[in-house]
Amino acid sequence: MKVLKTGKLEQVIDRLAQQADVYVPMLRGQQSGFYSWKTYNEDFDDLMFDILNVYQSPKHLILPQTEKMYSFRQEGQEVSIEEVAADIEPKVIMGIRSCDVRGIEYLDEVFLTKGYVDEFYKARRDKITIIANACYNPGKNCFCDSMGVSPTDPEAADVIMREVNGGYVWDVKTEKGEAITKQIEDLLEEQDVELFSLKPFLRKVEYDGVAEKLKDMFEHPMWEKYSEPCQTCGICTYLCPTCYCFDIQVKAWGDEGYRFRCWDSCMYHEYTQMAGGHNPREAAKERFRNRFLHKLQFFPERYGRPLCTGCGRCIVACPTGVSIIKIIDEVKEAETGA
Amino acid sequence: MNYTKEIREIATRLLESGQVDMVMAWEKGDQEYQTIPFVARTVDEVNRIVCDEYAVHNLANHLLRFRDGKEKIAIVAKGCDSRGIVRLLEDNQIKRDRLYVIGVACTGVKDPLQAMKANSGFERKKDQDEGLASKCLYCIQPNPVIYDELVGEELPLPELQGRFARIEEIENMSVDERYKFFEDILSTCIRCYACRQHCVACNCRTCIFDETRPQWVGRENNISDNMMYHLVRASHMAGRCIECGECERVCPVNIPLMLINRKLIKDINGFFGPYEAGMEYVEGNKPPLSVYRENDPDDFL
Repeated sequence: MKVLKTGKLEQVIDRLAQQADVYVPMLRGQQSGFYSWKTYNEDFDDLMFDILNVYQSPKHLILPQTEKMYSFRQEGQEVSIEEVAADIEPKVIMGIRSCDVRGIEYLDEVFLTKGYVDEFYKARRDKITIIANACYNPGKNCFCDSMGVSPTDPEAADVIMREVNGGYVWDVKTEKGEAITKQIEDLLEEQDVELFSLKPFLRKVEYDGVAEKLKDMFEHPMWEKYSEPCQTCGICTYLCPTCYCFDIQVKAWGDEGYRFRCWDSCMYHEYTQMAGGHNPREAAKERFRNRFLHKLQFFPERYGRPLCTGCGRCIVACPTGVSIIKIIDEVKEAETGA
Repeated sequence: MNYTKEIREIATRLLESGQVDMVMAWEKGDQEYQTIPFVARTVDEVNRIVCDEYAVHNLANHLLRFRDGKEKIAIVAKGCDSRGIVRLLEDNQIKRDRLYVIGVACTGVKDPLQAMKANSGFERKKDQDEGLASKCLYCIQPNPVIYDELVGEELPLPELQGRFARIEEIENMSVDERYKFFEDILSTCIRCYACRQHCVACNCRTCIFDETRPQWVGRENNISDNMMYHLVRASHMAGRCIECGECERVCPVNIPLMLINRKLIKDINGFFGPYEAGMEYVEGNKPPLSVYRENDPDDFL
């Protein structure tokens, strides 16, 4: 087996960074997320390959929080439109966990399938190589296996790093993975090592049948009950590796301006605000319900799988303790009129 | 701090007699360190109520959901929360006679979010006691300033040290240093609006940041729109922040928002004081920036 010794990890990143913008998990000040190796400062940043995961999911690398689409300028009676060149620098996302890889798989479904290809998304996605970090030690709020994710074998990964004593097994999965491995082959060592076995999950949830059952639960009292503490902030949706809603807006001054898209959240009042003044999701209950129905019913109806990867971020970060596990459990146990 | 038994007794009495329609308190979440807001509406639900060392949330904010109703509401309030209630009363958001305030003398609380994070695997440190929530370190009033019933013995006011020490350091920075400082901390904002949503001072029915015609603040996540968001929010906080610390506590990217709020508290006190927001309820009282007086200072304009 090819093994990357821990001591050579930074060398490998350096090498990869010669040909791509490499994003790695870091603790930066009070925050953790995937940051460009170009911005790594050893006085402030701490590489985080050895912890469970980082707070901010890497989805912004493919679906940036704000993205310019085109700019325009009025000249007399004419309008000139300038396409903003999509960011086409190749990227490597290294050290990403299975749950977040699955998040990217879901984004792929949304932006690349069902008859429409989002060119902005595709331009980024095509240039991304995924080096996953297999997970053998689930955290206290992890439940990815319950959501159909294999923590040790992320499907969309080009390479899977498997932690072993003293380093990582370098497990190449795709042609992209082979291409990137060529750049660093001399830094890997051939060695026989024993892989860790996956430790048991502390959290479990039964998702089977939930999507079907939810069809009859739009008016169920559980939404009122569980949305009570929800303050309708956007933490859960913005930390989520799968939430992909965006808005398209414009910034203009005088005769020129640009159009951009930016993340939006179904927890916001503005999200469903209509031109005439009506808002069909006026209060927390309706927005809260929509968030879970989208994840657990609407998305599976369209794409076959729930829009949750069991990463646990929303559970950990919710200031008032809302838990998607509780919601799923409640749906399972609920008595419906049918 | 654990007033669970006392609060349950009071809640049972109030709900049984029909004196209130609901009791705003807390219940336990999945983990021993998780306490979450809970509203009990029946006597049967009372045994879910807790009021323990993790009861950090300012429940006053939750009153806003019921501002258009007629329900009688009992609410458990720590010192800082009670100041939030006073602020809502001053802003005519709810009527005093709809409230039954169960005041608790607060010996300080811990933050379940910090504990969740520390135990989640998302951080290196593990299973260590987090100590008191950071807001409690600068608490000026552990006792409820408005209540119908008090639980616990009134506590002596803490002798504060260094409440404004960090503010003074920042004041002494050069303009460029200060700009850089705020640029650094605000550039990381993800615009989840958690600080606004959890804030009792943010009680506007339509927030300026949600307006679209005109759109006062852009929705782009960049330093310009982020700064605009935080500057506008800060100016709205002046004279209104009651230091419950919820904004800073809930921020998923750990922006030190209380630095901004404490600067405002210090300045409002300096210009218009002595003044601390929501320290006592006197009908008709307004915070300094909600009234005009001929002798208001204007030399900072």
